[in-house]
Amino acid sequence: MRRFEYHRADTLEQASRLLTDLGDDTFLFNGGTDLLVEIRERLRRVRHVVDIKQIPGLSDITYDETRGLTFGALVTVGRLENLALVRQRYPNLRAAFASLGSIQVRNRATVVGNVCRASPSADTIPPLIADGAFIHIYSRTNMRVVPLAEFFTGPGKTVLAKGEIVTGITVPPAGDNAGKAYLKHGRRKAMELSTVGVAVSLTMEDGLCNDIRIALGAVGATVLRAPEAEAMLRGTALDAVTVKNAADKAMEECTPISNVRASADYRRDMVGVLTGRAIKQALEAFA
Amino acid sequence: MNMTTPIEKREFKIVGKSVRRDDVLEKVTGEAEYTGDVKLSGMLHGKIKRAAIAHARIKSIDVSKALAYPGVKAVLTHENVPRVLHYGSPHPRSASCTKDQFILDDRVRFWGEGVAAVAAISEEIADEALDLIEVEYEPLPAVFEPEDAAQPGAPLIHEVGPGGNLVLDPVRINRGDVEAGFAQADFVLEGTFSGGRPHPAYMEPNVCIADWDGSNKLTFWTSTQTSFMVRGILAEVLGLPLTKVRVLVDHMGGGFGAKQDLFQHEFLCALLAKETRRPVKMEFTRHETFVAGRSRHPCKIWLKQGFKNDGTLVARDMKLVYDSGAYGSHGPGVTIVGTTAATSLYRCENVRLEGRCVYTNTPINGAFRGYGVVQSYYALDIQMDEAAERLGMDPAELKLKNVVRAGDIAPSGHPILGHGLEICLQHGIDVLDWKKLRNRDRTPDPRHPHMRTGWGIGCEMHGSSAYPGIKEQGNATVKVNEDGTVTLLTGAAGLGTGAHTALAQIVGEELGVRFEDVGTIHGDTDVVPWDIGAFASHTTYLVGTAAKMAAGKVRAAVLDRAAMKLQVSAAEIDLSEGKVFVIGDPGRCMTVAEAMGPSRGIPAANIVANGTYEPTKSYSFAAHFAEVHVDTETGIVEVKRVIPVHDVGRVIHPIAAQGQIEGGIQQGIGHTLTEDYIIDKKTGRSLNAGLVDYKMPLSMDMPDIETIILEAAPDPGGPWGAKGVGEDPIIAIGPAIANAIHDAIGVRFHHYPITPEDILKALREKGA
Repeated sequence: MRRFEYHRADTLEQASRLLTDLGDDTFLFNGGTDLLVEIRERLRRVRHVVDIKQIPGLSDITYDETRGLTFGALVTVGRLENLALVRQRYPNLRAAFASLGSIQVRNRATVVGNVCRASPSADTIPPLIADGAFIHIYSRTNMRVVPLAEFFTGPGKTVLAKGEIVTGITVPPAGDNAGKAYLKHGRRKAMELSTVGVAVSLTMEDGLCNDIRIALGAVGATVLRAPEAEAMLRGTALDAVTVKNAADKAMEECTPISNVRASADYRRDMVGVLTGRAIKQALEAFA
Repeated sequence: MNMTTPIEKREFKIVGKSVRRDDVLEKVTGEAEYTGDVKLSGMLHGKIKRAAIAHARIKSIDVSKALAYPGVKAVLTHENVPRVLHYGSPHPRSASCTKDQFILDDRVRFWGEGVAAVAAISEEIADEALDLIEVEYEPLPAVFEPEDAAQPGAPLIHEVGPGGNLVLDPVRINRGDVEAGFAQADFVLEGTFSGGRPHPAYMEPNVCIADWDGSNKLTFWTSTQTSFMVRGILAEVLGLPLTKVRVLVDHMGGGFGAKQDLFQHEFLCALLAKETRRPVKMEFTRHETFVAGRSRHPCKIWLKQGFKNDGTLVARDMKLVYDSGAYGSHGPGVTIVGTTAATSLYRCENVRLEGRCVYTNTPINGAFRGYGVVQSYYALDIQMDEAAERLGMDPAELKLKNVVRAGDIAPSGHPILGHGLEICLQHGIDVLDWKKLRNRDRTPDPRHPHMRTGWGIGCEMHGSSAYPGIKEQGNATVKVNEDGTVTLLTGAAGLGTGAHTALAQIVGEELGVRFEDVGTIHGDTDVVPWDIGAFASHTTYLVGTAAKMAAGKVRAAVLDRAAMKLQVSAAEIDLSEGKVFVIGDPGRCMTVAEAMGPSRGIPAANIVANGTYEPTKSYSFAAHFAEVHVDTETGIVEVKRVIPVHDVGRVIHPIAAQGQIEGGIQQGIGHTLTEDYIIDKKTGRSLNAGLVDYKMPLSMDMPDIETIILEAAPDPGGPWGAKGVGEDPIIAIGPAIANAIHDAIGVRFHHYPITPEDILKALREKGA
């Protein structure tokens, strides 16, 4: 492994200053499960890491019926995965968290870290986007809150400016009329990167779909929404024919590539299959 | 696990019992010392600069910046290492290999080949120094597919060997009259088959440490299956007598066959240590285990067989082409074994086989569990299923009709005594109620309307020992200590299979002492008797017999000594569980300790004996029954249930044997469905050299496995009839899965891995 300098920040301000002062090859060190592998495999040039794990106030999880679920940057995937609230109210997040890496990785990796890595195939991103999550960003001059759907600008790229640090994520409350699902498609059942991931979050009222968000992972430069497919589904009873037509539309809306994991055509096919299945699974909440 | 014992009924004290493995405590507590755990004072770290081009001549190589880098102690290139042409696979008595490797050459033959080596005071510094080595290449035209490499005028990868990029002259086998056979046939099936490039991905990456002492003796720790071959070829290439090379290997984290080459890094490590006069350690990254390790030979097979309407197989014509990669390694052995294997499995009197092995500019393929046979039996078994379909017959029935039987000549060319395949197949058919399974209700489950289920059978046979390709020899030394304990000295490597436990069981059983009283010394070429290496499913069969012979000799000596002390003749006494007693008068007895130890006027005894065994070969057999679920929308295949029915002769350690079978099935599922080390056919670059994108099945992907071991066909060459089990399970599972997929969705696949995309594409073509 290549050598790098380790810095420990005790405050957000100090971490932010280090990020600004130490130059381009400086990265935040949180769970480290991706960063260390990238250094080892020479996928990322790193000269400095800034450890933020000692910064107070970033480890909280809160929930209330108006604001929803908020968790800090240091909250591990494993902690959230095993939270009764997440299991009961956010089965989509539960499915995504439980499918990330291995148990050992999930006990170190953080959801915020997975999100900030901005991989198009990250499992945590599609259900958070489908749920309409917001991301909290600190900078030394101000704080800002950005809808997660607007956070990503490309593979590995986000709107974060130099010195900005994500402090946490808020997921809107899950009402009784909500149905949610995340389906991951990989080559095996665990320790796997998604070939395709599809998240669906919907609300039903009087038997009709009030709102629906479909988020597609690993089929574009960032996690994508499928706005036209969503529009076809809103206001309908989500009957089989409508769902099939919308799933076909989602296939048109994605922009997959071919690589060793799968061909673009296959990924597109899976968007169709998984969109249909995810809607069906989300509707099981009302069964 | 179900066991039936039709063989010699005998009351065993230790054999056949799942005793606690001798290495289990230290392994689960993390105290077991693996090669990578060895730390020597002043130890340097070595790293290899690897070429980022598939075929080139090195025009110049500038190491000045690397040498000047703080912490770097030595840099080696082709300009300052001995230029000795050597074998990649150093089997000393195998005539089948061509010497085609230099330690470092002025030529690169595959993307990832080492071109220079650095030793530095830390791994990080060595790694950083690699970037400072400047190599100028003159690119040469490269070939990545055997078809292209075998074309006249194709760029030649080696100047040695038979030419035309052949690794060895084509292997041709003719039995009977193939043309006459086809003339009798009622129908003929012809097909092409192909296999990918699965990689063994053992847990412990290749690692070695070299240390030269003041007398110019090299001590060499290395994770190898063949320590004596490492010693031999290191001595040969470095120009040393065998007394000046000592090879050590204790615990290993797997090998699966692939750790029986002499690797480039092993020479370089020894040379860097010599140059710096300091110990040097070299350890592969996971990436390096792919590019610089060994994988299974990709293979293309053309198979044509003639059948009678009653299912009789009357002719088999087969051509196999194995892709060796850039060097010969085990290409010759794999080609010979894989080709000759096709003489058998399903009986056929008229056989014409041709096996070729071709160099390409790709990473080296070598020995890997199933050694050439995985490829050839995949084709044979699937085509047998196709013949059954054509005949409207149950494949189980057709296979049962055609499987090898007693009296048949084995692929090795010699008649074997025990033929267990028929029994394995019949047993599985009975246990599963196969006919009922075949006639089951195939209506899809309304809860999973896209799911289809299928059952398939795969058959295999595989030899223990590499005879006749290699005339093998097993050796063991057994010593009885004065406290009645026993020490077994063996050169057999401990890959993690539990081989040493099985050997200690055999010694304890034969000698008549408790298992706990047998200690095993292994892994030091200066101490233990010569060993050919742990491969070819032969350790329990070959070394086990040698250990039994040595134990028998010391037993006789112990009895003589006890007879003297008990003042009876040796014929009147017996020895069991560490006690010598007078037959018919068990009250007159003494412990082995008392027999061995000193008594007034008599010093303690020194009893040592050697056993040497030169076997031919035994064959083990298996029929695997597999159930798959195929998702017709995603193309995903899940193996749900496997019933492997094996005949391995006498079982020494049931849980270890079962573990081998389950592990082989896990690897075989991977090969058949997800695992393929992919080389870019335009550049020769590896596309998935790492575990991120090379996907082996994990525990959650595993089916229920209900292992059945039948002690149906013991071989007199093994201890109490024991035969090998290591390689068999990986061979039968592949065709079982492919045949089950056909049963589920009516589509035939002739290749592996069978990916979800392949399934969807085939379903669409079928639907169209």
